[in-house]
Amino acid sequence: MVVEALSVLRNLPARKKEEQAEPSMLLGGSRDLGLDTLKLAQDIYDQFTADPRYKEYVLGCLNCGECTTGCPAARFYDFSPREMLQVAMSNDPLVLLNAMHEKIWACCQCYTCNMRCRFGNDIAGIISVMRELAVKNGLDSAKEVLRPYTRILLKVMTGGTQVSPDMIQPDFFVDWGPDAVSKASDLKTLRKAIPIDVLQVTDSAWEVSMQTSLELFQIYQESGVIDMVRAVDPDLVEMITDIVDEWREEFEEMKEKYGVR
Amino acid sequence: MSSPRILVVGGGPAGLSAAWDLAEAGANVVLVEEEGFLGGTPKKLHYSLIAPDLKPVQEVLDPLVRRVEQSGVEVMLNSEVASFKGSGDGFHVEVRRKGGSLESHVFDSVIAATGFAHWDPHKKYEYGYGVYPDVLDFKDFERMLSEDNLRRPSNGETPKRIAWLLCVGSRDKQVGKFYCCRMGCVVSIKQAMEVRQKHPEIDTYVYYMDIRTYGFWEDKVYWRSMEEFNVKFVRGRIGSINRGEDGRLVAMAEDTILQRPTEVPFDMLVLATGMEASRGTVEFAKLAGLELEEHGFIKPLQSDSLPVHTTVEGIFVAGTATGPKAIPDSVSEGSAAAMKALNFARRKAVAERQQTR
Repeated sequence: MVVEALSVLRNLPARKKEEQAEPSMLLGGSRDLGLDTLKLAQDIYDQFTADPRYKEYVLGCLNCGECTTGCPAARFYDFSPREMLQVAMSNDPLVLLNAMHEKIWACCQCYTCNMRCRFGNDIAGIISVMRELAVKNGLDSAKEVLRPYTRILLKVMTGGTQVSPDMIQPDFFVDWGPDAVSKASDLKTLRKAIPIDVLQVTDSAWEVSMQTSLELFQIYQESGVIDMVRAVDPDLVEMITDIVDEWREEFEEMKEKYGVR
Repeated sequence: MSSPRILVVGGGPAGLSAAWDLAEAGANVVLVEEEGFLGGTPKKLHYSLIAPDLKPVQEVLDPLVRRVEQSGVEVMLNSEVASFKGSGDGFHVEVRRKGGSLESHVFDSVIAATGFAHWDPHKKYEYGYGVYPDVLDFKDFERMLSEDNLRRPSNGETPKRIAWLLCVGSRDKQVGKFYCCRMGCVVSIKQAMEVRQKHPEIDTYVYYMDIRTYGFWEDKVYWRSMEEFNVKFVRGRIGSINRGEDGRLVAMAEDTILQRPTEVPFDMLVLATGMEASRGTVEFAKLAGLELEEHGFIKPLQSDSLPVHTTVEGIFVAGTATGPKAIPDSVSEGSAAAMKALNFARRKAVAERQQTR
């Protein structure tokens, strides 16, 4: 496929020098089109279309726009689920890569588009496939977008599958509005105001046993999650691995102490 | 040789056309109709003008009804087929008149012209039908037009802006209606033209994903609506309806040409409700053992070359019982089914005579 794309490029009529420097029309003039970009685009496109979910999620499109009508992200960003589906259907690696740089991250994965789609497409699903590929391939844009989530990810992967209010840094979420920081300052008191019986904690959701944590880590490792995270944030993976290694030692000591094999 | 005895089920355009042709050809025709009048759904739901000539529905249907009434067809109103059994000597049919009395008949062949029903837009809750009184469907709006009573149901005022939303209950996997209703585009545009003709001060907007005014409807309806009536078209579907602060409807849609989400206030919204097989069609098919095709209509024996044959020998079908269709098409199919039913009855009579000889 890569070779094919390159041969197409070679067969293009010779262009003037200043035109050669011009970026591809497909990229909307926003990025340089080097051979590396073409190869990356083709690689990602091949992974995308080979994903078993691709055939299942992308069926066809009547371009009715009902998905975009219900989309909360479309109201605030230059983003449209209909456009993302068209991108997924476009058969053009460069169009796909271009959308993966920024647009796919505007989706809030609420699945309203799926609810609305009269063709039965899984639009939010195909967007999440694109996101996975952006992370797996370590796109710079993915690194940038995911930076605010580093601490959350650290907590989730070391403390079990839990996010608590204390972990979220309002400074990174400007779209939460100016009051987010002051409103989040006294979460303990606010929690007390919840009329139903809840665990009155803000720094964790519940305690996960060490054995469970180690097992979870093994699942992350074997399912490729660790590799995915490494592609965008190798430092984070190192940090997590250090913590888990310590646990493992501690766990082995405990087993020895209590005579468990 | 005695005249063939033929049953026509349904007194809409297709059934009327079939009954008239059969009577003219000398058959003994019984026409069974569940309503108390002839004319079918267009009459029952008080349709207004009929495209493309914008003729009032009476001018289209009344001549057909009159011909049937004058041609010696035995018309059974307020009646339905209660039991149905095919055997060697013909179809044994019991017809129940409203009130309970059963009449037994034997027929040589049968024509099902049992028609369609409009899809119920309550099932598409995001369009607000049944929630907001100013959201109407085809049958509500046709009636409003035919009674020349164009008012907002919410407050009785004349609307200033009306929107149409095409393909409600058609071309939609979510509600299990995969097919095009064929009529929604032309009827919506026709309605907008009617509105503009009577009330040039009202703005009319049609929200569409495709306009399918096939054949001569293209220039006679679609183009004309823009050239003469300034009907406006927005390419994109309304995805949800909200109530605005002033009590108007707010239509949320993506304009897929401008590629942006839009919110536009309207006084009224008309939902172009699609066509599905009528209750009568489904029940008669069950009684007579006719196969249905994948969309729930009666299955023609061969949809290309034998469109009015059913999967049961001697039973024929015409009109919207086999799928969405315009009135002229239904009338043509009525005649076609009449021919086939008559031929079948005659062939059967010849075969019987040869047997007894």
